[in-house]
Amino acid sequence: MSTVPLLSVRDLCVDYATGTKLVRAADRVSFDLAQGEVMGLAGESGSGKSTVAFAIARLHKPPAFVTGGSVTLDGTDVLALKGEELRQWRWRDLSVVLQSAMNALNPLLTVEAQFRDLFHAHGVRDKAEVRERSAELLRLVGIAPDRLGDWPHTFSGGMRQRLVIAMALALRPKLIVMDEPTTALDVVVQREILEQVAELRAKFGFAVLFITHDLALMSQFCDRVGIMLKGELVEQGTPAELLARPRHPYTKRLWDSLPRLHPDTPARTGTAP
Amino acid sequence: MSQTADTPVLEVRDLTMRFPGQEFPSLDRASFALHRGRALALVGESGSGKSTCAKLLTHVLAATSGQVLFGGRDVTRLNGRADQLAYRRQVQMVFQDPFASLNPAHTIRHHLVRPLALHRPDLPSQDRAAEAARLLEGVGLDPEATLPKYPHELSGGQRQRVNLARALAVGPSVLVADEPTSMLDVSLRLSVLETFRRLKAERGIALLYITHDIATARHVAEDVAVLYRGRIVERGPVDAVIDRPQHPYTRLLLSAVPEVGRPLAADGGILARAEAVRRASASAGDLREVAPGHLVRDCLLPA
Repeated sequence: MSTVPLLSVRDLCVDYATGTKLVRAADRVSFDLAQGEVMGLAGESGSGKSTVAFAIARLHKPPAFVTGGSVTLDGTDVLALKGEELRQWRWRDLSVVLQSAMNALNPLLTVEAQFRDLFHAHGVRDKAEVRERSAELLRLVGIAPDRLGDWPHTFSGGMRQRLVIAMALALRPKLIVMDEPTTALDVVVQREILEQVAELRAKFGFAVLFITHDLALMSQFCDRVGIMLKGELVEQGTPAELLARPRHPYTKRLWDSLPRLHPDTPARTGTAP
Repeated sequence: MSQTADTPVLEVRDLTMRFPGQEFPSLDRASFALHRGRALALVGESGSGKSTCAKLLTHVLAATSGQVLFGGRDVTRLNGRADQLAYRRQVQMVFQDPFASLNPAHTIRHHLVRPLALHRPDLPSQDRAAEAARLLEGVGLDPEATLPKYPHELSGGQRQRVNLARALAVGPSVLVADEPTSMLDVSLRLSVLETFRRLKAERGIALLYITHDIATARHVAEDVAVLYRGRIVERGPVDAVIDRPQHPYTRLLLSAVPEVGRPLAADGGILARAEAVRRASASAGDLREVAPGHLVRDCLLPA
């Protein structure tokens, strides 16, 4: 792990403005992410995990406001980016994969047209090059390149999410934010996709910020895990550390509440579910 | 109804649902039985036919072929309104979405008193409120705090318990629960499943627990049936199927379940074989008994 982190989040605060007051959704959240590392943020609905991810990706719109703290990605002050600068930064330095792939793809454009849009927006205009790079991206995620001309609705849910991941990889970003990327998918498809992401990460070296409510999945996929509770990052460490010595009572409760496939084999020493 | 423990409360024989123009049926000759005080977990991915099965049992859909027997009587098609009502009272449903299945304009009291008024003519009207309170206690909710509330004032887990209490209000002998915990936060799932377990024991409810999450099956069910593309590929006692899975698809499904402390790369991965298993599992074969009560569909998997 290099000494300078790829991503540095310090005292990040996000508030939602309601009619009369501000509701704090992320409260002084601080963590680092190293080059090529996979960090997970776990927590229940409303814990603020997606709020943090959206702030890092600069996706918040009113009534959500980043009201404090800093986000630095590879030396760039992320919260200060504006206009064209922000547009270029997105997808080149950081890309996003969200839960609902169908909402992320334009139903009225073929896959090829959507890749073309992406490349055009980032200055790649040569027709042959766009085509070749798009085909290569499909191959990377295990989809036959001859499907470039197809519309999103002709793909299964798992394939759609792979298309979105292919797009996220297009400009070789340093960090990919994945917010519940496989929650809407079946476990077998989920497993296929995460294995693929792990392979691609080994190949290209990008870092991943992985948001999920599934702590078991997170412990399998991530190098490091942060636990969110009511807007605060209450604990972070490797899955093994959090499992063996959870310091926050909430972390312990989360582990103990998981329905286990093999209840008789305690995942954590001293735990009998 | 006088029944021995061996007589199924509800039995399904070769139940099939084929919608017009379908390449393969949504449900293809499914057979299983539900017993008093026991649960069968019906496990499968989306599109495997598990919700279709729930709709056939609750008469939301009419089967293309096959039979549903209730207490030994054929109830696949019921014509009289009285028969329909009686059957629907006995076979109640709990849905996945705890937010969509309660009326936002009514209190919890209304949600419980109304089915009592409609389906429990034996119960004097002045006793309905007390019965509603008892029902809430039965699913682990505080009646005094809960009865006057509206659905939006409750959490997802509390709402799902209200749904359960409402289903129980009419005194059913069978509960069909379609993904009852998949929209709940993880920390609530086990406690809701525990409530189902208690209802089996205390009320002798026969439960069909429909889920995509085979890990939760063991927490609530004695038996499990694995569906793939409309066919049951393996069925048997939950311990046998989970600990000694025989069908390639069951094995694939089990290897993909997220498990704490088992890193992704540790077992060689499923990417290479998943597609081959899917292809092989889609072909028809016969169900064969490999151990008492443990049935596996023949499947040729190329090595």
